[in-house]
This record gives sequence, structure tokens and C-alpha cells, in this order.
Amino acid sequence: MTAVVIGVGNEFRRDDGIGPAVARAVAESGVHAEISDGDPARLLEAWDGADLVVIVDAIRCTPAVPGRWHRTTLPHSIPAASSHGLGVPEAVELAEALDRRPEHLVIYAVEVADVGFGIGLSPAVAAAAATLTSAVLTEVAEEFPGTDKISNS
Amino acid sequence: MTHRSNRTLQVAGLARVEGEGALHVRTVDGEVDRVELNIYEPPRFFEAFLRGRHFREPPDITARICGICPVAYQMSACLAIEDACGVRVEGPLRALRRLLYCGEWISSHALHIYLLHAPDFLGFPDGIALAREHRSVVERGLALKKAGNRIMDLVGGRAIHPVNVRVGGFYRVPTTDEIRGLTTTLRQALHDALATVEWVAAFDFPELEVPHDLMALRDVEGYPLDRGTPHISTGRSFPVAEFGDHVAEHQVPHSTALHARLDDRLFLVGPLARYSLNSDRLSPVAGEAASMAGLGPVCRNPFRSIVVRAVEVVYALEEALQIIDSYERPDAPCVEVAPRAGFGHGITEAPRGLLYHRYELDAAGRILDADIVPPTSQNQSAIEADVTAVVRSHQHLDDHGLQSLCEQTIRNYDPCISCSAHFLDLTRERA
Repeated sequence: MTAVVIGVGNEFRRDDGIGPAVARAVAESGVHAEISDGDPARLLEAWDGADLVVIVDAIRCTPAVPGRWHRTTLPHSIPAASSHGLGVPEAVELAEALDRRPEHLVIYAVEVADVGFGIGLSPAVAAAAATLTSAVLTEVAEEFPGTDKISNS
Repeated sequence: MTHRSNRTLQVAGLARVEGEGALHVRTVDGEVDRVELNIYEPPRFFEAFLRGRHFREPPDITARICGICPVAYQMSACLAIEDACGVRVEGPLRALRRLLYCGEWISSHALHIYLLHAPDFLGFPDGIALAREHRSVVERGLALKKAGNRIMDLVGGRAIHPVNVRVGGFYRVPTTDEIRGLTTTLRQALHDALATVEWVAAFDFPELEVPHDLMALRDVEGYPLDRGTPHISTGRSFPVAEFGDHVAEHQVPHSTALHARLDDRLFLVGPLARYSLNSDRLSPVAGEAASMAGLGPVCRNPFRSIVVRAVEVVYALEEALQIIDSYERPDAPCVEVAPRAGFGHGITEAPRGLLYHRYELDAAGRILDADIVPPTSQNQSAIEADVTAVVRSHQHLDDHGLQSLCEQTIRNYDPCISCSAHFLDLTRERA
């Protein structure tokens, strides 16, 4: 049984970097984590062979509460703030067409304030990173009871 | 005036954070009145970012311009800076660069062939619909892409925005065992690539022969990838340093992206140009695959670019396997490059075509000026000309059919707006 946390986003587009930031944080706890630009083919590669896939991505809402995050297993209604035209919903659709959708797929979508050029998260989104990281770690631990950490292999 | 003779096709782009693409077509009295491809490109920001930066930074900074062809930006940046500093990277380090570039070609071409371009020929709205009906075919495409990514992971450090490239070479060079570890994957990928050529060669191709000048690199040996001299289909060529004397960029009212002319003539870069000027340089298996696919020594039908891309994937795999077979780990991961004042020029063949970088450095290695001319910018005028020709010869199609054909025509060039084109909305106005 394996789990992978995939942080989707571009760290050079401010709050779009929340996914990668959480991925880095959970990796420090020994959980297998990857950073992705959301390209469907690469997402399929990233979760290949994993039983549990946790995706963390940014979303833009109107009005938004920056830093508020949502947990879902149905990504189709989530408008991703990916900096590319194809993103997580298309990856899930492609995976379904190819029978490569992971058994357990959980999406954490974080409302963002600023996806302009530049590095660094806005204060509200940065503040959410810690609780989000804890939630993701709990998600992984609950799916695999008896282990606090999943091997990074 | 018939009802159909005046019409406007307005293909408005989905707002994307990294750029926008739109197409506007207007016909009056059955004649094509206006075709405007509107692309907003971020690269110009990068040219400004680069001023004042250290001369070792452009490979990492410019790699961020494109998530699909970062290696192309790194390679052209390295060549230009090394040119300014009077250094030429040869031998096994150059071979490694070429191997990395092969990885990008394989990955980029496989994505375009299978998920972006093939659905046009087979009547599917997108790659996902294609996957539902032809699962094993799309799996083959994804496996090919993955093989390219494996090369980039190993040589580039990672597949997205590789971090292992530096001016003068690499930060770390793979061991012989690591490199040879790619062989099995790439042999299987070569098999898949040949099947890809066979698959796309059987598609139906709209008739279109473009008269534009073709420009691509040509080197003293091999198919052009990481170096060479610009050659034009008219038989002329010029040194890399004279690129700016021949390719003139200009503004057009309908686009913030610069258009370009080659010696004041319409031209195109990319697979068609590369193939037509270098088909004699293909490796044996790739050359045979081209013949089997019905490609002559020159190909001027942009719709057949999908076949050329498939042949180039075969070439890239053969070339990669050859480099791997003769690989010996270099003694040092890079050659020393000391800064000096002056100009440097670098051109390599990105998957979409010729990519030019020019830098001016001061004696301390600070960048005083930077110029980047990407292939999509160079091809914009040619794309508009092709759309004009297609609209003119397909007036009988309804708006939906004509829009689809226009989008397919744009995708022939694999511009960076390809993926957004699947999400475009059509607004039709009647006069």
C-alpha cells in the first residue's frame, strides 16, 4: 500500500504555490510527495501505483476567503487555478478513460488571493499551510492505520 | 451577396494565466477579409527580468518560460552565454546535452501528437475522448512521453524545469550505470515510436502546400538539435550572430506578441522546416520510417507535421540510444566559463522550431541586454497565412466545421496556446 501527496501549482505565481508548499512540508514528515504543474500526463505518472492520492491545489473563488480550504473526492466542480489550460479535472477524466484512477483520490482545494507573478504566499494562505499540512498527514495516516509515516519510496 | 458570403468567426480565448490565444476570421462577399491570430506571450517580461542578472542565471530563469520545452530555453541560453565568453562545449558534455534535448523532443512531441493533435484527425473533441475509444493507443503515447521524461529526470535532474543544466555543462553528470539503465525503456519506446509513425501516416490530411520560406538549423553532421547554422529553403544561410540582421520582429495592431519576417519574407520554423532542410540527415531507422510514411525529401503540408513529429521521435530515440551506448562519464561535469564583455548568440531547435537567444554582458558577467525570439512568435504570420488559405478553400463548410479546421490549422504549429484552443468559444456574427 502506498500513498502520494501531489502539490499542484507554480511557486512563481504567489498563492498558486500553496500546493507545492504543502507537498514540501509533508515530505519532511517522510510522506512520499511530488510537485506537479498539473499536466494530466505527468499527474498520471506521479500517482502511478499509489493506492491513496492526495492532491493539494489552489482555487480562485468569487468572493474568496483566502486560506479557506475544501476537501473533496469529486474534483469536477472545482475550478482549478492551474496556470495551464489542462489541469486536475482533465487528469482525473483521462485516468478514468484509461482505468488508471487511483482507488482513493482526495483533493484539497485552497482558496487563494493572489496568483500574480512573484514568489511567496499571501499571509492568509501562508497561515493555512500548517493546518492543511496536518490535515493531509492525518488523511494519509488514517488510510494506513498503524503507521505514522509512509516510506518515501 | 449571399447569406453565407459575409461571416465572422470569433474564437475568443479562455483567459489563461500564462497567456491568451484568440482567432478572428472575417469574410466579405466570400473573400477572406481578415485573419488575426492573437497571442499574448510572457517571454518579453523575461528579457527585462534578465537585465542586471548574473551571466550564469539565464538557463534557470529562461527555463521558466515554458513548462513543455524548458530544455530548449536552457540550451539556447547556454550557447549564447558561452558564445559571449568564447567557450564551446564539446565531446561527452555536448553529447549529454543532446541526450537531454532528445528527452524533451520525445516528451513534447508525444504530448502533442497523442493528446493535442491526433484528436483533430480522428474526430474527437479532445485527448480524453480519444482515450475512451482507443485506450491502448493513448497508453502508448503516454509511455512514449514517460520515456522522454525519464531522460530529463536523469540528465536534467527533473522533468519539469530541469535544474541540472548550467553554463559550461551540468552540475552533476550521470554515472555510466545510470545512463545505461535507460536502454530498455528507450528500446521499447523506439518500438512505440515506429508504431506511432505508422498510425499517424494513415490519417487523412487536408490539401495545403505552403509557399513560405522554411528556416531551420543545419549542422556539419546529424539532424539539427543543439546547434547548427540557420539555413533557408531558398538555399541561403547565415551565421548565428547575424540572426538579428535577417529576422526582423514587428508589432501588429491585433496582438501584443511580435510578428517576424525573414529578410522581409514570410517564413516558418519547426518540424516542416527542420525536416525539409535535413531529411538527408535522419538516422537509418528514422529515414526508413519517413519513407514508409510517404514523406518525400521535402514536406510543405503543415497538416503532415504530425507525421514529421512522429519521425522526429524515432530519430530522437535512435540518437539517444546511440549516445547512451557510447557514453563514458565525463571527468568534470562542466567546463569553466569566465565572463567577458561582449555579445553572445545561441540558436537551438526547440520542438516547435528555432529558438534564438542573444545576451550582452559586461566584463563582470552582468547581463546588460537580452533578446529572446521564440518559435511561436516567428510562426505567427505563417499561421495566419495558412488559416487564410484554409478559409478560402473551405467556404462550403458550416461555422462549426470551419472553426474546427481553423483550430486544427493552428495546432499544426504546436503553438503554446494549443491546450487552450480546446476550450475556445465561438461567436458568430452575420453581416
